[in-house]
Amino acid sequence: MTQLTSQRVSDDAGAGGGAGGNGDKTGRSRVPTRLWQRIWTTVVVIAILMAFVLPYEWMFVSGLKSQSSIFADISPLSWKTFVPLAVTFENLEELFVDRGVGRALLNSFLVAAFQVVASLILCTLAAYALTRIAFKGRNAVFAVILATFMLPAEALVVPLYQLISAMSLQDTLIAVGVPWIASAFGLFLLRQSFEAVPLELDEAAKLDGAGHFRIFWSVILPVVRVDLVTFVLMIFLFSWNAFLWPLVAIQSTENTLVQVAVAQSVSPGALPNWGLTFAGASVATIPLLILFIFLQRLFIPGLARSGLK
Amino acid sequence: MSSTTTRTRLVRGTGRKRSRRELLVAAGFLAPFLIILAVFQYVPVVLLIKNSLLSYTLINPDLQTFVGLENFARIFSDPGALQTIGVTLIFAVGMVVLIIPLGFLLATYLNQPLPGRGILRTAVFLPVITSSVVVATLWNFLLANEGLVNAVLNSLGFGTASFLTDQALALPSIIIMSVWQQVGMAAILYLGGLQSIPGDVMEASVLDGAGGLKRTFLIVIPLLSRTTVMVVVIMTVFALQSFTPAYVMTKGAPGGTTNLLVYEIYKQAFTLQDPGFASALSVLLLVGAITISLVQMRLLRTRWDY
Repeated sequence: MTQLTSQRVSDDAGAGGGAGGNGDKTGRSRVPTRLWQRIWTTVVVIAILMAFVLPYEWMFVSGLKSQSSIFADISPLSWKTFVPLAVTFENLEELFVDRGVGRALLNSFLVAAFQVVASLILCTLAAYALTRIAFKGRNAVFAVILATFMLPAEALVVPLYQLISAMSLQDTLIAVGVPWIASAFGLFLLRQSFEAVPLELDEAAKLDGAGHFRIFWSVILPVVRVDLVTFVLMIFLFSWNAFLWPLVAIQSTENTLVQVAVAQSVSPGALPNWGLTFAGASVATIPLLILFIFLQRLFIPGLARSGLK
Repeated sequence: MSSTTTRTRLVRGTGRKRSRRELLVAAGFLAPFLIILAVFQYVPVVLLIKNSLLSYTLINPDLQTFVGLENFARIFSDPGALQTIGVTLIFAVGMVVLIIPLGFLLATYLNQPLPGRGILRTAVFLPVITSSVVVATLWNFLLANEGLVNAVLNSLGFGTASFLTDQALALPSIIIMSVWQQVGMAAILYLGGLQSIPGDVMEASVLDGAGGLKRTFLIVIPLLSRTTVMVVVIMTVFALQSFTPAYVMTKGAPGGTTNLLVYEIYKQAFTLQDPGFASALSVLLLVGAITISLVQMRLLRTRWDY
């Protein structure tokens, strides 16, 4: 995952593809080829957009339809498939009133908030020690931390379940979040940004008599605040989207997280209520979608470094 | 480091004391992280290995017997376990084989001055930030007999395909779903790679008369081999850890053809009450994932100085 330090992932749409792009400097363009190329490009762009956006559109719209009109609007396929002609909020109403999805959303939010705050504290402190304090064995400590980067979380579910049972944390929201707050990925991300802060700043603060905590708090953290936002978004994303561990750690309905609630409303074999499930999936997606659309520039570089932890 | 020496030099002889103090301060900063890391990462690994040598149930964990390597022997004799490993490997290979060319093509596309490039990139990246549960739920309905994909097929005059219940189609279907979900990630990584190729390399190749295709195959693709290794590893590890498609869409059916390894682990531990066997399977997953990461580091000759 290091490699990315050298490859800047540009998230700037206007960055003009420096090199690999279409450097067709040879041959003055003959107009017909140009035109065909343009038409072809436009067709491809539209096809790609449809492949990625239409499924979402269908999901959101179908969440606002009744079961019967979802089926009526899809066969035969027509523009009605993607437009809610008779909008109904009964799915949303059932979700929030009868199925307690509001509670599930709140639980997911609480776990994510806990994970964000706790890992922010742990990772910033650790990153400071690993970049700013010279001590023997610093590289060894970092290796011990980074080694956990290779551990697939999914493989640890059984012993983690045993562990939280032994701690009497079963079926608590703390148990859902706490195993992941010492995030090797988060530390890795922050270590890079801490390293980019010039040491001269520390030295100036030291001459003014500042101790390590003071330097950490008033020198480093303010400088890296943009990276801290990326960090927060990443941890929030991982927490919000997690599924297997929340499924295992929580048993009671009142502590269920939203992803688990959605997953349990789709059951193979049985005929699920499509409208209701679509509405649930939409509700579980929209918070992140909004965050992503507005803060894309902060998301993409973070995710590109994450290696999908 | 240099900053500490400037001050220590003022008072001779306190160097060692000072470095001990620094060590203590560092320990204070690192302790919370390291304690949590030890408890929730290293302890579970040890527990996992220990459990894999036991036979017990989660209902009554105190009633356990030491069975040595029996659980591991079972993996290689149990047809169900062998099938789940096979399915997971096919899933991983299928995903990688499709996602590399598609991700590369998308990145090349996104690297051009296109109309609406920003929107395109957002769209392609949407599934990456969408939870696996929502993706699986959505695709469950896209691929259902009454779903959107079949509606499109029907309107084009084709018959209805039972994507998720036909033995020949179920695994390919979830492979395609996962490619759809992750191709944006591959594209972003390739885009980073493309943008790191120095402009003069490309200009030189143009002057040498290399055409578009030739340039792509002889210059761009070899230059991006690091990125390719990375994408292969990320996607393989993603595939090995996939659980949700099996849980949400198929329950491992039809005929075990979508019985992904992590789903089998989940079932063995929590439904069939055989956490010892589940642990042995988990050890296998752990070893597989670590091996892949180590091979990656070797291939990229990464030094440990991040």
